[in-house]
Amino acid sequence: MELSLATRSVSDHVVLEIGGEIDVYTAPRLRERLIELVGAGEKQVVVDLGRVDFLDSTGLGVLVGAHRRLRASDGALSLVCPHERLLKIFRITGLDSVFEIHRSVEDATTGGSAKTARTGA
Amino acid sequence: MIQTSVVPTQPGPPDGPGRSSVPVPVPSGRLRVLLVEDDDADAFLVRELLDEANAAVDLTVATTLGDARAKVGGVDCVLLDLGLPDAQGLDGMRRLLEVARGAAVCVLTGLGDDHLGVAAVAEGAQDYLIKGQVDGVLLARSVRYAVERKRADENARRLYEVELQQQESARLERGLLPKPLLRTSDVRVDTFYQPGRRAQLGGDFFDVVQTADDRLAMMVGDVCGHGVDEAALGVELRVAWRALTLAGVHDDAVLPAIEQVLISERESQEVFATLATVTVDLASGEAAVRLAGHPPPLLLAGGDASVVPATHGAVLGVFEHAERPASHVQLAGPDWSLLMYTDGLIEGRTGNGDRRLDVTGLRALITSRQGRAVARGDLAAWLVARAEEANDGPLADDVAMLILSRARGGR
Repeated sequence: MELSLATRSVSDHVVLEIGGEIDVYTAPRLRERLIELVGAGEKQVVVDLGRVDFLDSTGLGVLVGAHRRLRASDGALSLVCPHERLLKIFRITGLDSVFEIHRSVEDATTGGSAKTARTGA
Repeated sequence: MIQTSVVPTQPGPPDGPGRSSVPVPVPSGRLRVLLVEDDDADAFLVRELLDEANAAVDLTVATTLGDARAKVGGVDCVLLDLGLPDAQGLDGMRRLLEVARGAAVCVLTGLGDDHLGVAAVAEGAQDYLIKGQVDGVLLARSVRYAVERKRADENARRLYEVELQQQESARLERGLLPKPLLRTSDVRVDTFYQPGRRAQLGGDFFDVVQTADDRLAMMVGDVCGHGVDEAALGVELRVAWRALTLAGVHDDAVLPAIEQVLISERESQEVFATLATVTVDLASGEAAVRLAGHPPPLLLAGGDASVVPATHGAVLGVFEHAERPASHVQLAGPDWSLLMYTDGLIEGRTGNGDRRLDVTGLRALITSRQGRAVARGDLAAWLVARAEEANDGPLADDVAMLILSRARGGR
């Protein structure tokens, strides 16, 4: 039930690097952090799930909520998700067509074309 | 003289899952006592009496109600004079109780003011003492009894709250997990539900309704999040589904309507739900599966357990006008079962790093030699027991399962 959150800036994006498990117990902290970022005026938020071991439906809800908030303020949320294990969750829930999902932070911040949302099926 | 008080025995924790009812312990060491008294001589006297009795108390004095309100944090017992410069009578006690919910209160009244003491006890004080008629031993004992009585009251209140919570959960559980509406004997339905690790009700729900002699509709769903709100929303979605299904609404229109119910009833835009529905034509054995962000059912037949190849549709509550086309599967042969479940079943650990049981592990369990020998009616409980074994403890999330099987022929 550990969750680590670290932010850094890459060009005009803010990258939120998450480590550990996003579940019903840790999701509130993630929600808080994302709301802070949106509140601070961040527009291009990249959530890096590269070091996430586990993501449940409450965690997905938090990501969906952040996506909506950012869209409402003309921003965008994109995800970095190199692992098939998590990609599968996005596919089953159909959320792979909501989020822009990239293989790497570099792809996400350079607007690279390596969008993987629907390629892993 | 002292108003004697019978100290109630402290209620113990309830049997069963009343986890939040851990009793408030009575402090065994020194008690923190706040004396609220504007008369220096009276305050001096109280201190002397307590000293004389060697009472294990740490005394702080406040001379006004404002002062008392500032000092009352962390105090075990308040000795309160009812005649203060900034508060008279019971009003002072009420204002003090506003900020000192956990402290016991023992009111000090003058001779002939018995009625005030009685009224104070009726309004929440634990005891009253008449000034000038108290000796040290009685004063010390009265303070300790007041503290113990306060703890006992507090424990009784918590116990009551836990009971209310359990009743609430039981009501919601009945709403989430109804009895199947089934009259055919050609098939049997086994249902299973288990709350998550912290015994809290999640948002899992299921339902089964026979809509015609040869038609059956079933579903399993999950509202994301774990709380009373999610459970209540789960009940709404389940009942909406049952109503739409019983009303004969076309299958293609059911999920969009459920989604509208979700969107209009949910508290936060973050909340979404997943749902899998299956309609079965019992005569032809043809089943139509629709998925809204939910894991597809497993088809158990001939010793194998395969994932029903159904199109993944989006979760409910995120997209507008999402497509969730039906996929068709043939239920044939003498020994098929269709297993629908919520993801709590497959999200347990496996003792192998971060790996979870997942669908692969679930299929392996079902098709294992042991798994194939389990009677159909016991399969759900058996699977959960194996998942918990692998998880090395109770599963974090709640688990719901629905198994539709041909009535005859065993697996």
